Amino acid sequence: MSIITQAITSADREARYLNVEELNSIRDFYEGGQNRLRIAAVLSTHERQIVQKGSQTFWERCPVTPSNSGNRTFQASCMRDQGWYVRLVTYAIVVGDIEPIEKSGIKGAKEMYISLGVPLRNLVECMRCLKEAALDLLSLDDVDEVAPYFDYIIQGMKP
Amino acid sequence: MQDAITALINSSDVQGRYLDNAGLERLRSYFQSGEMRAKSAIAISANASSLVTQAVAKSLMYTDITAPGGNMYTCRRYAACIRDLDYFLRYATYAMLAGDPSILDERILNGLRETYNSLGVPIGATIRSVQAMKDVASDLIGTDAGKELGVYFDYICAGLS
Repeated sequence: MSIITQAITSADREARYLNVEELNSIRDFYEGGQNRLRIAAVLSTHERQIVQKGSQTFWERCPVTPSNSGNRTFQASCMRDQGWYVRLVTYAIVVGDIEPIEKSGIKGAKEMYISLGVPLRNLVECMRCLKEAALDLLSLDDVDEVAPYFDYIIQGMKP
Repeated sequence: MQDAITALINSSDVQGRYLDNAGLERLRSYFQSGEMRAKSAIAISANASSLVTQAVAKSLMYTDITAPGGNMYTCRRYAACIRDLDYFLRYATYAMLAGDPSILDERILNGLRETYNSLGVPIGATIRSVQAMKDVASDLIGTDAGKELGVYFDYICAGLS
């Protein structure tokens, strides 16, 4: 949920207009908007590169894992899912909230991967590698904006 | 409810796609016009009751509707009318901040026409008063902001008719 929707929802609950503090934080949010769009664009245009680099590091660190077993389907699924997580992170950056990641990428994720036979420990490592590959492309300021979303994914997949 | 950002994200996510260029362009101009939206919201909240008074004076006050037999006759009905206009103004302001009309559907328009019909509230007069509010609000917040806010007043009118 964006800070805008959050403030409107709470004002509506009390049948009032937004107060000055709420409007000021919305203003800051509007102001940072262009920057968030820029960061999201960096990640989306480099998705393939991020996923490839992330996968390589992952397979070096966790050689014994379904996606590195020679099974092409597993390998492709692993890389496809990494791409999805990069996409969800770009949504979260734009809206300034974890909600898109939580809704589409965390709720039920552990259960799903367990049932697919993916070891959660490796999954967490994979997300760490994906994070490193993504942050490598960014400046220090941008890293501060992006890292928490990857951390949220890593935290949400811990066994 | 949705806002301009979540609406775009939700529709992209179900297709598994990144935010497309057209959508990004819309968000860019939405963020750019943010200061205007926030300023208008401040002005409107400080002048809400006066805007409603002006809108009523402009559209309803001196018509048959306030005379005996009219739907605004008796204070009780008059009060209900200005209360509703107050709601319309507040929700249109929310929607302008969000850059998305979904909150109008959720909180105002669902079932409103049926309710008004069953209470005998004339839709035509309601729409005239909403249009009058659009004009007086636009005088207060300026033409550009008034145009943006007007989108949501028009959305209310379209939902009523």
